[in-house]
Amino acid sequence: MENKPRHDPNPDSNRPEEPELDLYTIPSYSSWFAWNDIHEKERQALKEFFEGSSISRTPKIYKEYRDFIINKYREDPSRRLTFTEIRKSLIGDVTLLHKVFRFLETWGLINFLAPPPPHEGSENDDRVRVENGAPNGVRVVATPNSLRPLSAPVVKGKNSGDGVEESGVKLPPLASYSDVFGDLKRLHCGSCGDNCDSGYYEYKKDNFIVCDKCFKNGNYGEDKSMDDFELKDCREKSAANGTVWTEAETLLLLDSVLKHGDDWDLVAQNVQTKSKLDCITKLIELPFGESLIDSAKGRGNSSGTSMSMNGIKPVVVPSSEDQENIINEDQGYDGANENENNGDSENQEPPLKKKRTASPSDADSSIMKQVARISTMVGPQITASAAEAAVAMLSDEMSCPREIFYGDHIDLTNGSLSPSIYQQERAHNTEESEIKERSNPSVGVLPVLIIIIICKKIDSLAESQETHPKKSDIPLPLRIRAAVATGLGAAAAHAKLLAVQEEKEIEHLVATIIEAQLKKLNSKIKHCEDAELLMEKEYAAIEGLKEYILGERINILRTTYNTGTSKLLEHSSVQSQTSNLS
Amino acid sequence: MKSPASASWKAPLKFRMPTAENLIPIRLDIEVDGQRYKDAFTWNPYDPDSEVVMFAKRTVKDLKLAPGFLPQIVQSIQSQLATFRSYEGQDMYVGDKIIPIKLDLQVNHTVIRDQFLWDLNNFDSDPEEFARTLCKDLGIEDPEVGPAVAFAIREQLYEIAIQNVTSARENRISKKGRRAAEHFTPSKASGAALDLMKLFSFRSSVVRKRKEWDYYKPVLDLLSNEEVDALEAKEERSGR
Repeated sequence: MENKPRHDPNPDSNRPEEPELDLYTIPSYSSWFAWNDIHEKERQALKEFFEGSSISRTPKIYKEYRDFIINKYREDPSRRLTFTEIRKSLIGDVTLLHKVFRFLETWGLINFLAPPPPHEGSENDDRVRVENGAPNGVRVVATPNSLRPLSAPVVKGKNSGDGVEESGVKLPPLASYSDVFGDLKRLHCGSCGDNCDSGYYEYKKDNFIVCDKCFKNGNYGEDKSMDDFELKDCREKSAANGTVWTEAETLLLLDSVLKHGDDWDLVAQNVQTKSKLDCITKLIELPFGESLIDSAKGRGNSSGTSMSMNGIKPVVVPSSEDQENIINEDQGYDGANENENNGDSENQEPPLKKKRTASPSDADSSIMKQVARISTMVGPQITASAAEAAVAMLSDEMSCPREIFYGDHIDLTNGSLSPSIYQQERAHNTEESEIKERSNPSVGVLPVLIIIIICKKIDSLAESQETHPKKSDIPLPLRIRAAVATGLGAAAAHAKLLAVQEEKEIEHLVATIIEAQLKKLNSKIKHCEDAELLMEKEYAAIEGLKEYILGERINILRTTYNTGTSKLLEHSSVQSQTSNLS
Repeated sequence: MKSPASASWKAPLKFRMPTAENLIPIRLDIEVDGQRYKDAFTWNPYDPDSEVVMFAKRTVKDLKLAPGFLPQIVQSIQSQLATFRSYEGQDMYVGDKIIPIKLDLQVNHTVIRDQFLWDLNNFDSDPEEFARTLCKDLGIEDPEVGPAVAFAIREQLYEIAIQNVTSARENRISKKGRRAAEHFTPSKASGAALDLMKLFSFRSSVVRKRKEWDYYKPVLDLLSNEEVDALEAKEERSGR
């Protein structure tokens, strides 16, 4: 904001009778202002004065207000002019006056050099503290009696323009939710803050729970009476005494989930012996149940009970959302996708997510580094699903890894699980092949993903080893070696491709530059030629003129000579004429 | 309606508060079992009636009043709302009317006396904003003063709006049967309206004379504790 002198100072004035003008500074964006005139901006902002709707609002009145206010300010430019000071001196509606005042203040025509107003908000900051997220003891649920905590739905295929169609690969949202809300699974009493390990009582009207002890003591906060509370047994309790799932039932459950997706009524019907709640509970407890739900219905669901996944946390994998980001980086899509996908999440998530979305688009670090960095921020379910997706992609190209990966799927001890996993892989396969066609850059991250997949398999295998005898015949070290080899090979190929691409681009650009230079030269030459032509024509014209003038002169001399002149003059004038001519 | 007879004639509008937000002032002064509850606040008349009960309950709880207050508070609020609603459907004449508004209130330790002009026809007017600016300019730190000022303004506007409705009604009745233009001069409505012709004409200036400046500026007094108590005692004596 530059300062622009309002009047020109006349220090060395040759007109001593003129008074010294004062310099007032106003910002350069207000240079349209003129004392004698009302500018269009003023007419627009303060329409009331210019509509002729009332006798109390005319342009003349506006000008008087404006001039008075500005002059009042300029009596002492260093102090802040307040509205109250001027409204006592002006006749008119105070609301309208305030509008004029604010207009002048915004444009810096008054109070430009004054100190800023004392900030009243600062003292209030000590008294009020804004906290993010739900308070302790309150759990946000989708419906008042459900036990499943709410998480943000993933928006389907909201990519820019010709972007990738993300039809079937729906993955759970960023796992920060589970990290953050994981411990809310243990319910806290609203009044005493203890964990409600035994049964707890839920207030019917709000999300308020008290533990057993508090309820019995009558210590449940104000405004609540005993009958407003409902007894709800702890999930652990119910889980302990409750349901036992046979393999057949589990298989049935998985099939129906894949078929019906989110429709728990139908699922419960299929699995006749178990209620809706039990189905949901069981599904969540299953190690891959999360991804099943997600792939089946395309909505993010994380409940944090991914116990088997917790083992992989230290070695994590970027989400396929990250993949998506890399895919879309070429299109300049800023990772806002992640935000969109989790648009409706609770308060705590947006700040965390925003931080995260900045890094993927940071193009200077290599993809590997990005992958490594992002993977440390992201949680397990994403790794699982993304890794599976990546595996599918690579497996299309190479058969050896496929054997290794799918080999142990089939050999997974829990026979009921395998068909569903297989289905999942198939589903991923089709989508991934589509994605593959459209995106080459993502190839680079696959090697890392593969390594991770291996670890996950190892983990799950290790688990299954405890309960069942080991059936897989492909030894662990071989798998690892194969994975590493594949990874490195893929990375090398990718690098080479990139280098070739770069070279081509360079050549292309150089050619363009040379072309441009040639064009410039050509136009310059043309310009010079045109100028030459012009000059030649002009020269010819001037020559013609010269001859003409010469001819005229000769004529004049002839006539003078013919008419006869005095003897005295004759000699001298002819002499001088001839000397001139020569 | 009929054709306008002059530039200052405006079509009658439905009754409402002539401010940007249609909030009405509610005043409560209830005494139960020796406890006296005085309050004044603005209310949104479009809130459902269940809100009244909830508000009353909350108030009783927060201020630890006797439970006998509850039905009285509810009844008082509802009757004031009903009065407002009875005016609501009716026509209100809002001409070009600029009225002086006077403030003379004492809030805790602060006493404010002020006088200024308000245009009833300006539906963008916002008493709350005016009060905020006033408190900021005068450096008032007590957060209760602003709302009290806004409330006082609203109350006066409300009174005048009601007067408008009643006088419009009377006018209609008196002119019943006549096909004359509904020309309604401001001077008839209330004597408080200013003579705009005189004030805003070509020859006069909208800048006040200096000697009048002191009348129209706010006067702020800060009382000490004893003075506050003295005033309260005086009020109670005059009230009872």
